[in-house]
Amino acid sequence: MNNPTLIGPCADYEHELVDLQDGELADDRARALRVHLGQCARCRAWAAEFAALDARLATDLPRPALSPTFDARLQERLAALARPAVRGDLRAALVREHDSLVHGLRRVARRRAALGAVGSAAATLCLLAAARSLLAQHAGLLHPVAEGPERWVLLGAIGSAIALAALAWSVARSGMPGLGWRR
Amino acid sequence: MDAGIEELLAGGRHARAFDLVVPAYQDRVFRLAYSILKERAAAEDATQEALVRVWKALPGFDGRAALGTWIYAITRNTCLMELRRRRPTVSFDDPDSAEAQHAATSIASGPAADPEHDNLLRLVDALPRNQQEAVRLFYLEDRSYEAVAEQLGMPLGTVKNLLHRARKRLMELARPDEVKAA
Repeated sequence: MNNPTLIGPCADYEHELVDLQDGELADDRARALRVHLGQCARCRAWAAEFAALDARLATDLPRPALSPTFDARLQERLAALARPAVRGDLRAALVREHDSLVHGLRRVARRRAALGAVGSAAATLCLLAAARSLLAQHAGLLHPVAEGPERWVLLGAIGSAIALAALAWSVARSGMPGLGWRR
Repeated sequence: MDAGIEELLAGGRHARAFDLVVPAYQDRVFRLAYSILKERAAAEDATQEALVRVWKALPGFDGRAALGTWIYAITRNTCLMELRRRRPTVSFDDPDSAEAQHAATSIASGPAADPEHDNLLRLVDALPRNQQEAVRLFYLEDRSYEAVAEQLGMPLGTVKNLLHRARKRLMELARPDEVKAA
């Protein structure tokens, strides 16, 4: 047991000897340790052996690197993984766009139909008012027909005919609420 | 670099963030995988697998851990799954086990084309697995304790202790037989 490395370093300095070799020791501690190393053969021998092992590990342990094709292979794999998702996303986007378009067209058609119905009703009322006024002015000419209850039946028939004509025009132009849509 | 990546992630630009993750981390992920798996090809496969997992999980990254810590954890898990898949026949996790002692003795004294070089590598292989990983990674990362601690997910003190014990053990194993017998 005369070999100093087999005895090992002084216990108080062992970790600092490693830190010194690894460049992790603070300057003031490093100075103190170097003073100790000048006086202690055991620590000097152990430090030299540790430094030799450290140098061998640094040079002898393999230092592999990624192959030059790594990036290309990674991108290829990611592209393969992304492809189905892209197809799925595209299909979902098309379905969303189609639904949105149909919904918009239905909304426009309903609005036009409603406006058409209101317009038809207004036109009918105007025409009824005009017909009543005409009947009042020419009561003598229409006397045999437009007398008593028959007068109101006649007015109702004229109004209904006008309303039906207006509604038919409106349906032909844009559609009816609740009956879908057409261009 | 990480701040830029995390900014992109916060803005929901995951694809662009991943484009920055790959060059920033692929070499370190590979070195970590190599320190665990000990084979270049297996480490490269694990690196690709880990980066694919990062790519898939990146939209869910919540920033609670540092990005590097998160990526290294994914890498370690990927490598450990690979190790489990291999079903090792002999474990050197216990340095005092009969198998480890026998392997270390036969390795240190066995014939080799380049005895010094080969023996050192075999001696490293005879260390407990966590010490092997720390030693390989420490020298791959140019003797950076901080890099080893971050990549292995261990406190700095634990890494220093692991490396100290590992290199002390290597010194003992590497002594020539005549010195040991003295």
